[in-house]
Amino acid sequence: MRFPLVRSAALTLAIVLVMTVAGLTAPQTTTLEFWTISLQPFFTDYVNGLIADYQRANPGVQIKWVDVQFQAIEQKLLAAIAGGVPPDVVNLNVEFTVRIAEKGALLDLDGAVPAADRARYFEGLWGGTRFRGRAYGIPWYIAPPVLFFNSDLFKKAGLNTLNPPDTEEEMVAAARQIKDRTKAYGFMPLIDGTRLMHRFLENGLPMLSADGKRAVFNTPAHVAYLQKYVDLFKGDYFPDDTLRRGFNGAVERYSAGQLGMLLVGPQFLLRIKESNPEVYAQTFVGPYPAGKGKVIHAGLMALAVPKASKHQQEAVKFALFVSNDENQLEFSKLPGTVLFPSTKKAAADPFFKQKGAGPEFKARAIAADELKSGRDLTVVVPNQSELYKIFREAVESAFFGKMSPKEALDWAVREWNARL
Amino acid sequence: MPLRRRSTLVAYLFLLPALGLLAVFTFYPVIFGTVLSLFEYDIINPPRYVGWLQFQRLLADRYFWIAITNSAKYVLVVPVIQLGSILLAVLVNRQLRGIGAFRAAYYVPVITSWPVVGIMWTWMYDQQGVVNWVLRSLDVIARPVSWLSHPTITLYAVMFVTMWKGLGWYMVIYLAGLQAIPAEYEEAAMIDGASRGRVFWSVTIPLLRPYILLASLISTMAAVKVFEEIYVMTRGGPFFSTYTMFMYIFDEAFQELNMGYAAALAVVLAAVILVFSVINFRVFRRGGLEWY
Repeated sequence: MRFPLVRSAALTLAIVLVMTVAGLTAPQTTTLEFWTISLQPFFTDYVNGLIADYQRANPGVQIKWVDVQFQAIEQKLLAAIAGGVPPDVVNLNVEFTVRIAEKGALLDLDGAVPAADRARYFEGLWGGTRFRGRAYGIPWYIAPPVLFFNSDLFKKAGLNTLNPPDTEEEMVAAARQIKDRTKAYGFMPLIDGTRLMHRFLENGLPMLSADGKRAVFNTPAHVAYLQKYVDLFKGDYFPDDTLRRGFNGAVERYSAGQLGMLLVGPQFLLRIKESNPEVYAQTFVGPYPAGKGKVIHAGLMALAVPKASKHQQEAVKFALFVSNDENQLEFSKLPGTVLFPSTKKAAADPFFKQKGAGPEFKARAIAADELKSGRDLTVVVPNQSELYKIFREAVESAFFGKMSPKEALDWAVREWNARL
Repeated sequence: MPLRRRSTLVAYLFLLPALGLLAVFTFYPVIFGTVLSLFEYDIINPPRYVGWLQFQRLLADRYFWIAITNSAKYVLVVPVIQLGSILLAVLVNRQLRGIGAFRAAYYVPVITSWPVVGIMWTWMYDQQGVVNWVLRSLDVIARPVSWLSHPTITLYAVMFVTMWKGLGWYMVIYLAGLQAIPAEYEEAAMIDGASRGRVFWSVTIPLLRPYILLASLISTMAAVKVFEEIYVMTRGGPFFSTYTMFMYIFDEAFQELNMGYAAALAVVLAAVILVFSVINFRVFRRGGLEWY
């Protein structure tokens, strides 16, 4: 009886030891949650492929992908951070990144990303998410806007479809002509909410003093610029829901064939093609009609890492993988896509200069050319939401006749300076 | 255990599940929110006690005054919606063939979700929407109106949608009230020579007053707390003309992360609702047979 007992004990001990050693040597699985903005359904296969590649190369890491609608991303992220279950890598635009970074909720990526990796990105883009001297987002992709125009409406208005407006002034003149001759609206200028700030900056009209400590957007030039659009509004040269519906309204109206010109990122071609193939067929593409500043606001998408992530190092590594040269290039090359990489090597690929039939090719070539003047012009200020709200109120006051453009901008500048 | 004490205990035991739910989902949030109004809290950093500072701040806050004025204006929808639903209830309180279908039809908006209603009315209010088409066809307007883009009319346009969606709900309450009124009272008045209008104002309405109190109370609270339709249709614009208290609370809490300030605004809103509720009780307290 004793022998079997000793043998059983030894066997048990051996099993325990083997299992312990196995447990120690078995790879620990780390699960990273990755949030993107509105990439489903168009890019589902691409992102899944990206994840599969990463998991294959990093056996201990599992990626859980969650795609969130643009309108919901900020609140969902804040709720997740507050609930202690943040994603590890999250796709944000510059405005959201700065707003959340201001609360101290994002990882400082100037510190977390080695200098050699940072150098792979365009310097201007890497600094796009900088708040108080630190960057909080790894640049992912960028889409400089182009001009789409409805060739049918252009012809009816007597405009030359081979010679689209080249400057903002020419675009305004074309919009007037379209409205006067066809009764359809020529454009919905992007002046709703805070977008007028981008227009100011595109025209070389600064929002802040050089040291960033004073608001300066009430000079006679700023006032004249706003007055021009107030006059167009009063003359019914753009729809009166422009201020409320912004570029979503513009895309909808254009897709319905009721708008002459549309200024959006080239990726919106997909949406137009899907919602109205007839309008897509009439769509011609031209360069973005530049303002006097020779700079174009190009929305940047970045990848941020919440400070509350339990796997910060792994998260940064994954974000760098997602935005590396090969993966960004593959993303840009997907059929029907017109996005641009944020890394220098990927952006230099001959693919972006290729010529072909269809507006996508033209849009890609035009946007590639615009990259040199494209910058994310989001105005980075403390108390961003409050200051933006004041600006919006001032602009709407001017459009709805509650104040003159001068009074409105003077008031907003005073309010900003009291808070900066 | 004496029978009386035992039955009291049983009664409390029956109440316990409901009280438990109320404690978790109502009493606790109310107390927590009230305490939170004395703190500065942005979700990410720990709360900091600031006392009455948030309440002092809101007195000087122009957006607070815009929001509370708009919320107070929204209460204008209450008498209209109540009168409309009483008339609707009177209309459907008949023994006609297929009347059930009419009642159900009026109730459909009530069970339709706000996002669907909001999107549908946004289209209908569009410059090329059906509202403009009808009004232009009838020569009421010369050119299309952007119902949701003009600061002077947008609030009323959204209020109309609130009314449209709520009519069926209050109609059901009044229908129950009308059916609880014994037919003899109205018949007696008519035998005494009262006209239909006289019977309605002097018999039906006084006897309906307890129901009017209930419906007005619910309606007033809903009007002061209006949010979904504004959020879906206008987001508070244009030019803050539909920026109501709940929109402001939502913005402060979830856009600007000023949870403490949002809680202070919510406390003030609760006080406003209390005032309106007291007014409702004062106006409609006497009703039913007590009226006479």
